[in-house]
Amino acid sequence: MLNYLSSLKLFFLLCLALASVFIYQTIFSHEPAPYGSWWFATLGFLLAANITACSARRAKTASAAFLLIHSGIVLVLLGAFVSRYVRFEGSMPLRSGSESAFVYSGNSVYKLPFKVRLEDFRLDYYREPRGKIVVTEKTGRQEFPAVPDAEINIGSSRIKVLRLLRDFGLTAKKEVVNKSAYWHNPAAQLEITSGGKKTTLWFFTNFPGMHREELPFHIFYALDHAEVKNFTSSVLITPDKAPGFKAEISVNKPLQVNGYTLYQTSYDPADAGYSLLSAARDRGLWAVYTGFAVLLVGIILWLKE
Amino acid sequence: MAEGIILNAAFFFSLAAAGTGAAAYVFRRPLFSKTAPPAMALSWIALTAGMLLLWTRLGRPPLSNQYESLLTMLWLVFPLAFYFYRSTGKPETITSAALVSSILFGAASLLDKTARPLMPALRSDWLILHVLSSMAAYAAFALAAAAAARALLKKQAEVFESLLARLAKAGFALLTLGIITGSVWANTAWGAWWSWDPKETWSLLTWLGYAAALHLRKKGWRGHRFAILLIACFTLVLFTYFGVNFLLSGMHSYA
Repeated sequence: MLNYLSSLKLFFLLCLALASVFIYQTIFSHEPAPYGSWWFATLGFLLAANITACSARRAKTASAAFLLIHSGIVLVLLGAFVSRYVRFEGSMPLRSGSESAFVYSGNSVYKLPFKVRLEDFRLDYYREPRGKIVVTEKTGRQEFPAVPDAEINIGSSRIKVLRLLRDFGLTAKKEVVNKSAYWHNPAAQLEITSGGKKTTLWFFTNFPGMHREELPFHIFYALDHAEVKNFTSSVLITPDKAPGFKAEISVNKPLQVNGYTLYQTSYDPADAGYSLLSAARDRGLWAVYTGFAVLLVGIILWLKE
Repeated sequence: MAEGIILNAAFFFSLAAAGTGAAAYVFRRPLFSKTAPPAMALSWIALTAGMLLLWTRLGRPPLSNQYESLLTMLWLVFPLAFYFYRSTGKPETITSAALVSSILFGAASLLDKTARPLMPALRSDWLILHVLSSMAAYAAFALAAAAAARALLKKQAEVFESLLARLAKAGFALLTLGIITGSVWANTAWGAWWSWDPKETWSLLTWLGYAAALHLRKKGWRGHRFAILLIACFTLVLFTYFGVNFLLSGMHSYA
């Protein structure tokens, strides 16, 4: 039994089994992934046992590289098991000015040992997008820069740019306002004079094709793509038994508080004051990272052999 | 664009090097393949110039989509090939590299070259280490597969045994580094060191494939059997690099 557990034959079998699962799951299956199931965990456990048994059997004669590589892999697998059973992750939706200590994971709500207040949420663009008015007729297509007060002549018709908004919104009193400084719902208000008739209409980048029936030509308000560079939440963290402090969380720059790590996960393009953070705590991580380090040292020694 | 012309010149020199290798084989004139190393050197110089121009135009290293990463992989094929050419003295390393680089240049010409600014998740120093190590691994595996195919064709797999094993080991070490840096980066950007994203899953599958191949070699699968294994494993690399992007969707959709 121990001989089989430490055999390369078992290793090859496990490789084949894992390969079949991965190929089936990524290409053919429409079912939820089986990586959390007991049988997949069994495969992982068998792999760890196989590598451990094989390394232990050869411990006296094997090179340092062999032992480091194999123990590194076992450590990563052990860490994965610890992560699997103790890792916590939940999402924390916040609005500007609001404070919360609650995170949501599945159908459950958890309370963190600190409160997070979203002071401000900020989107950065690579560059300001330029708007343009695109007019298409049977005879062709023309583009004009969208600048306030610009006047465009199309044959006998005239288009005047009245207002340009980045984030079109309506107040309760039906007044048109810019909801935020971000290019979420760009809109242009144009005054069109055609056939002696003057009309004032709104055109939206996100909803092209409006007013098609009312005009002798098609008008679009188009925008060079507004490429988001980064998004950042400015937060005030107040731990349960310590003074509060201010911090920033952005993509690739998470924040560690009381054993939890807060990540900037998402935002809502339709709501500039909303930020989605997530909180994670993974006590298996140290084993995984130690495993990575041991594995890499082993690999370097192995290359030198 | 100037960079396009220079990259086409690099493609041309690679094709020329591959052509001389093929001519040497077909006409049984080994001397022909003597022109392959200088042609490859010219190709590498042109590729370097083209990539520097691209780098300048983008204002960042060209590492962020499939086209840019493929150019990086291509660039890495050359130093790997020259290193193994020097250490093993086998000119076949260079002609195999010429075959690999010609195919990769061909593939690069088919890809979408639209350059976009880096999306927020990619704005990290980990990008350089992760992409460089992964692309270097793929380059080493591509060289190993081309050298293996050549060795099988010439029925000389035994002669190339040590070159093939060294290329496979180099690729395996680099892939390990690529997966580890990706994992640590994922934990910083997404909050989980492993998420079973299709690219992650397939890179693990590729890693397991080469691990199994190297273990089988220990069990005596040498010569032509090991060469066949390297070609089979390279299909996993191809799927991980191209297949996952075109057929599956996931967190690596940009590359």
